[in-house]
Amino acid sequence: MSEVDPRWGADAVPALVVENVTTRIGPLTILDGLSLELRAGEVVTVLGANGAGKTTLLRTIAGLYPPRQGHIRLFGESIEGRPAHEITRAGIGHVPSGRELFPRLSVADHLELGGRLSPPARRAELRARMLAMFPVLGRRLGQRAGTLSGGEQQMLAIARALMTDPRVLLLDEPSTGLAPKIVLSVFQTFPMLREQGVSILLAEQSLTLGLTAADRAYVVDQGRIVLSGAAAQLAEDHRVVDTYLGR
Amino acid sequence: MLALQILVNGLLLGGLYVLIAQSLNLIFGVMGVVNLAHGAFIVVAGLFTYWFASSTGINPLAVLPFVFIVMALVGAGLQPLLIEPLMKMGRSKAELLSLMVTFGLDYVLVELALQVWGSSFVSVPYLQSSWKLAGLDFSQALVVTGMFAALVSALLYWWLNRTDSGKSLLAASQSETGAICCGIDVKRVRMLAFALGVALAAAAGVLVIIVEALAPQTADDLTLLAFVIIALGGLGSYVGVAVAALLLGVAQSITGYFVGGNAEYVLPYVLLILVMVALPGRFRRA
Ligand SMILES: Nc1ncnc2c1ncn2[C@@H]1O[C@H](COP(=O)(O)OP(=O)(O)O)[C@@H](O)[C@H]1O
Ligand SMILES: [Mg+2]
Repeated sequence: MSEVDPRWGADAVPALVVENVTTRIGPLTILDGLSLELRAGEVVTVLGANGAGKTTLLRTIAGLYPPRQGHIRLFGESIEGRPAHEITRAGIGHVPSGRELFPRLSVADHLELGGRLSPPARRAELRARMLAMFPVLGRRLGQRAGTLSGGEQQMLAIARALMTDPRVLLLDEPSTGLAPKIVLSVFQTFPMLREQGVSILLAEQSLTLGLTAADRAYVVDQGRIVLSGAAAQLAEDHRVVDTYLGR
Repeated sequence: MLALQILVNGLLLGGLYVLIAQSLNLIFGVMGVVNLAHGAFIVVAGLFTYWFASSTGINPLAVLPFVFIVMALVGAGLQPLLIEPLMKMGRSKAELLSLMVTFGLDYVLVELALQVWGSSFVSVPYLQSSWKLAGLDFSQALVVTGMFAALVSALLYWWLNRTDSGKSLLAASQSETGAICCGIDVKRVRMLAFALGVALAAAAGVLVIIVEALAPQTADDLTLLAFVIIALGGLGSYVGVAVAALLLGVAQSITGYFVGGNAEYVLPYVLLILVMVALPGRFRRA
């Protein structure tokens, strides 16, 4: 895969810029001057061992933790420090760690809540697209989210985020608890999303899973970026596994 | 026939309990806050209705929409002042501190009510007789208030499950992060829930004072009654709480008939103890 899709110029405004961001939770500094960039149309993976700071990074971008320092820009527009729901409205879709579905609401309710900010015509279009992308959800529209299988729940979490019509999608370890076959079917939706102009930032622990779907990757350790490069290049780099992903 | 009579009386009383409990449940579901001032809002609204209806001669039920709106505004004003600042402290800390804050609010409201209306028990003299139908005796006050309460509860249920703002509220109570991921302003949802919870409690107060006598010092009994019902029904579950409220109404009606005396008023406390001992897990959110 080329580093940048030719349809988007390398010098175009990046979809997402994280610049020197520091996040503290209580007295702990969890992200420590972290910077990265996601270009329009790219799929970029943030790799890191458990506890490296991936979830904190995604939550900071989504506005769930206010950064102490640094800047976050969505297509050139500064978004750091805004209330989280406004960041969602600005175009950041978030598939959070643990999925955070509404267990006693139906699949249809989730799609409706995700799409509540779009005008009705756009909402209907997004909904039709989600049901085409995840046909199994169409067969479960009336079912409560709490009764879905793990794979179905993950798909619903992704569909809910996509219903907000995001320009950047944050995916926090979507492979957690899923069989490899199902993970691949989730990753197979990425080219479709790219077609629709959605850029993807994916957090993963597993090197193979994390790199199969990505153009580029960053390796994060103790809240800092320690390595970065094209996915193919990092896949060859023995330091990634030896030093940073453990095992 | 007697069994049916007891059942009907119990269900009508239970209808009123649905409203008393659902308003507490609403606030708890969204914020994890047990509003200890719940009964005080009921009592204040009830005593106001008594005072207003008896000094103007206006039908007490006509006061209900007015009380509902005013108390919704009171709730919307109090929430950002008293509850919202606690929400940033994390759930468990917020739960404990909110007990203290709402206890303080309860104290203030009850003392105010004592200053304004004194400590004697009063009831609105309205719908005192009963309807006879198919050999059964229907207390007019119970029928009318039970119907009103059922109507308000049904409207609440419809609003929660069928409207965008209602569903946003359910969503925020099931996953705050998930709600934010949908672009829902959770802070606003919390204010709405508190305003609505207080307004519904007040509506219940207007109805309760038609059925039984209230005094400011009744406030904590009503809070406890509502708490027992939501604990039995499953905290945060709307259907469970409605069923528990109806069952408690019937259980009280049965105890009142067969045991008599004050047994029916002791029943909620006995149930609370039984629930706490037998099902401690009930006190977690559904
Ligand atoms: N709410 C929190 N309170 C305290 N420490 C936290 C909290 N959330 C995360 N951390 C700490 O921050 C570090 C990074 O966590 P996280 O972002 O969840 O990592 P990852 O997603 O890469 O596994 C870990 O050391 C974790 O213990
Ligand atoms: Mg994580």
